[in-house]
Amino acid sequence: MATAVSQPVPWYNPPKIARAVFQARRYPVVPVAILLFLLVIPAVFAPLVAPHDPLKGSLSKRLLPPVWAQGGSIEYPLGTDKMGRDLLSRMIYGARVSLLVSFITVFVGGSIGTALGLMSGYFGGKLDTLIMRLVDIELAIPTILLALVLVAAVGPSFGTVILLISLVIWTRYARQARAETLTVKEQDFVARARVAGASHTRIMLRYIFPNIVNTLVVLATLQVGTIILLESTLSFLGVGIPRPTPAWGVMVADGRELIVTAWWVSMFPGLGIMLTVLSLNLFGDWLRDHLDPKLKHV
Amino acid sequence: MQCDLMPMPRLVLLWFGLVVTVGFLLSATSAPALAGDAPAQRVVFGSAGFTESNRFWTIARPEHLQYDPFLETLLEVDAKTGEFTPRLAEKWQASPDLKEWTFWLRKGVQFHNGFGEFTANDVVHSHSFMLRQDATSGTAPLWRMAEEVKVVDDYQIVFRMKNPMAIMPYIASRAGELRIISKAQWDKEGLEGLDKRPAGTGSYRYLERKPGLSIAYERVETHWGGERPDFKQLEIRLVPEETTRLAMLLGGEAHIVDLPRELQKEALNRGMKIFSSSQPVDWMTVYLGGQYYTPGDPKFQANVPWTNKKVRQALNMAVNRKELLETIFAGKATPVYVTGWLPISEGWNPEWVTRFDQLYGYNPTKAKELLKEAGHPPGKLQLKILGFTNPGESEGPQVAEALAIYFKEVGINAAIEILDWANVRDMFRSKSIQCCIWPNIISWRPVEDWIRVSYYSKSTNHHFEDEFIDKHYLALAQTVDPEERQRLTRTIGDHLFEEFPDIPLFWFFNEVVANPKTVADWSYPGLGAGRSTHFHLLKGAK
Amino acid sequence: MQRYILRRFLHSLLAIWVLSMIVFSLSRVTGNPLDVLLPLEAGPEEYERVAKHWGLDKPIYTQYLIFMGKALRGDFGTSWKWQGHTAMGLVLDRLPATLQLAGLALLISVVISVPIGVMAAVMKDTPLDSFSKLIALLGQSLPSFWLGIVLMWVFAVQLGWLPTSGRGGLSYMILPGIALGWFQVAALMRLTRSSMLEVLDTEFVKLTRIKGLPEWKIIWKHCLRNAAIVPLTYFGITASGLLTGSVVTESVFAWPGTGLLVVDAVRARDFQVVQAVVIVFAGVFIFTNLVVDILYAYLDPRIRYQ
Repeated sequence: MATAVSQPVPWYNPPKIARAVFQARRYPVVPVAILLFLLVIPAVFAPLVAPHDPLKGSLSKRLLPPVWAQGGSIEYPLGTDKMGRDLLSRMIYGARVSLLVSFITVFVGGSIGTALGLMSGYFGGKLDTLIMRLVDIELAIPTILLALVLVAAVGPSFGTVILLISLVIWTRYARQARAETLTVKEQDFVARARVAGASHTRIMLRYIFPNIVNTLVVLATLQVGTIILLESTLSFLGVGIPRPTPAWGVMVADGRELIVTAWWVSMFPGLGIMLTVLSLNLFGDWLRDHLDPKLKHV
Repeated sequence: MQCDLMPMPRLVLLWFGLVVTVGFLLSATSAPALAGDAPAQRVVFGSAGFTESNRFWTIARPEHLQYDPFLETLLEVDAKTGEFTPRLAEKWQASPDLKEWTFWLRKGVQFHNGFGEFTANDVVHSHSFMLRQDATSGTAPLWRMAEEVKVVDDYQIVFRMKNPMAIMPYIASRAGELRIISKAQWDKEGLEGLDKRPAGTGSYRYLERKPGLSIAYERVETHWGGERPDFKQLEIRLVPEETTRLAMLLGGEAHIVDLPRELQKEALNRGMKIFSSSQPVDWMTVYLGGQYYTPGDPKFQANVPWTNKKVRQALNMAVNRKELLETIFAGKATPVYVTGWLPISEGWNPEWVTRFDQLYGYNPTKAKELLKEAGHPPGKLQLKILGFTNPGESEGPQVAEALAIYFKEVGINAAIEILDWANVRDMFRSKSIQCCIWPNIISWRPVEDWIRVSYYSKSTNHHFEDEFIDKHYLALAQTVDPEERQRLTRTIGDHLFEEFPDIPLFWFFNEVVANPKTVADWSYPGLGAGRSTHFHLLKGAK
Repeated sequence: MQRYILRRFLHSLLAIWVLSMIVFSLSRVTGNPLDVLLPLEAGPEEYERVAKHWGLDKPIYTQYLIFMGKALRGDFGTSWKWQGHTAMGLVLDRLPATLQLAGLALLISVVISVPIGVMAAVMKDTPLDSFSKLIALLGQSLPSFWLGIVLMWVFAVQLGWLPTSGRGGLSYMILPGIALGWFQVAALMRLTRSSMLEVLDTEFVKLTRIKGLPEWKIIWKHCLRNAAIVPLTYFGITASGLLTGSVVTESVFAWPGTGLLVVDAVRARDFQVVQAVVIVFAGVFIFTNLVVDILYAYLDPRIRYQ
């Protein structure tokens, strides 16, 4: 039987493209794209991408409007700030700072929280009560208050902000880890491991942790947005990332008195924060729906 | 979750409870807005805020804004010239050794709320608060030097001070903190009366405070001096956010506000007017730490780079004052030649003005040369600039950043650290600030007091200390003859001019922005305690 | 049941005590309040005299014992910055203003989020659902102080519909209420939506449909009951979010509440007031959580026996 040799399908076949686009709508293309362009690429490639030095400004060029407004120039596409520094460059480097702060705090806070939550759920008893009391106490301390007092004591710095935000977020990981651990530890394979003589540490690390890590990753993604927001609020109150480091929160706070005269100084970083957090939330939602639909409560 | 988990009644009860709670919270203590007369009768001043208390002896000068309308002082500060003129005291005289000060008091001055006539006993009474344990106002230490306060008769009083007090007129004036309150009220109502409704002698009367919100005053119908404010009611509001103050002004809720320079432009665009104080009020200078040159001072560290005069001069010459002025300060300031001195101060030397450019002026090439001569080729010298903000003074960190940029251009690597004001103060008080330089804004005070506080080795602030200053200051503190005093203060000023103790920047006038539809004019010196003073001189628009 | 409540209550007291110790030590670590409170001219004698007057010259554990002793009798000391006022007096004076604002913010967020959340669940995957998701996300993404300033600028200055700041009648509360409550809208909406979705899926609802009840009755009468529990359980976290959010909102709108008080007190190193505020805030949180826990136990018998 002769088989008809089919023509190769040209790549610009409209129906095929249409179907691909239609199927892609299930993936969070837009949020990821925004994240890539707004956060990841600038953060990683900052020195290559930024047109100017974010720390160096010329006082004679201060408060220039963006390029499309009257008085703006292509040299400073998004305008300049109070000290004559290029806003676009500062936004790019600011992405780096925001990302760095988020990652480190999520790592620090998340690790502590997960460890404590794991132990709390696994061992139960007095340790569990103690750790949960700690969680309650920590939740009872108003964040802002803790921030003000801590920063006044230690002085505002990158490290202080990280410490502070970690102190605030570890509780969510602890609670989540504990809840998950409680379910996992009842499983058969855990019992078998114990019978086989595995130590507690081994069981926690090798058997329980890998099963709860999914939720925690989703939680982490969802938290990056919160952290960026928290950092900007702290900066507004004067206890955030110290100047002159460009961080979006600091930039919005600095520009707040200029919101009337030089709106671009705080509008662009504000937009940056909003779009980034929005995209992170959308991405996080998708992640959650795909990794584990049971995670409605996260 | 099962639908039949919770029966309807419980649910209804719960939600009802929530709604009731929220409703209660909403209706509770809904403070009504101050009942105003027709707009032309009431003026609202939006300030950056102050510590609210009627206990004037615990409040420092800038925050005496809240007392200015209704509590008066012995001497007045002239609204245009800043001179000290008669007020509750008609005449005053010092003994030859400046230790005994006699004040002749005005007759027929009535306290508010029917507390009787003002007499010497009220002065003794008011002064006695400065002697309390909790007296923390700025001039309290000076008032505490009174060995005796003698009542000669109802209208004459003598202060006998431990040391010669050349600046007595200053501390007894509207620029000082001795507010005259009624002894009769104290006898009748005690501290509670003072906290609730203090009686004063001013052309405005204390009406009420709303904590966290405002303080309100009402015009008095007969004032001893015939002062009759245009506005029947005055309200000073506490508004910490600058943008909010601008919004209030533009929206008509406030008629006069304190605004930072950036926002002044916007207000002007919308038709508002600026009223400036007639005298400069505060100055900004960048202080250099570690300058303890009194021989044998253990805190002196020779490796601090700017102990070398050439370095200090270079630091000065690296700064483009003109550009700083145009940009950060919108062109509205006058230069400081020697820190602390105004033309009206004792010991002013006009030569400083002519010689300033030559010694301190912007010259980066010369600066680099000087640094090289001092052993610091480009890129070697490191220093730290400390920045901090206080309410109403946001330029510190901006100036710090500008300085860093200027210093970079002459090869100095400057790092900026933003600290709390209290930390910085702690550092220079304990002489542990050798690492750093810092810009600060300080308000005008008589030169002798400034030297005592900053240059004298037993001072609190230790900005720049050496034997020369010590010797001359001690002599000055004992000197009575005005010409000799001028000579001594001038000598100290000249010495400072030649020594480059700091980086002097600018004198600022106090500026407020007002709505010309309500306020036509205002004349005030700026040197009064509270900066914005003389509210009775507000002229309403017709 | 009683034992459960008692246990939770004791735990709460313990939490407050530990908290007070933490704040006490933290706030004294922040440095000398005199550096902030005394004017530039104050000399070493002034520092000594005032330190003695306020009891700061004693060692820290003595200070703590004195503080605890007084606190147990309800005396939290006098404020250092606001002379003539007691620390707790100041806080209690300002608290109603904050509670009022928080109440309105809560009301606004509930009124907006619950109905939309319910409708979004019912009309899942329609444009309304996406719209609700968008609002929720926006709420979570905007810095609240930025929102406050923009709101003020648009509504109070440009349009002139509402006053910009301060406290007065209802019109003064609207803008700060929105700025404060906005953040909660997101979370509440999502929660309402997800719990409604769960309920709509249950056997019971299928039964009511088979019985032939009209759709609207099913949604609003039978299922809303259960979805309505959700905001209540979330109330503890909402309360904390509102109280901390108030610090920023009060700053922008010059609303004279405890948030503003706290910022001023910390800046002035007024330990007494800071301590009083923290204890009151913590008290409110812990009390709210306790009430929610008890309510939950009352409503869901399964929890009581844990």
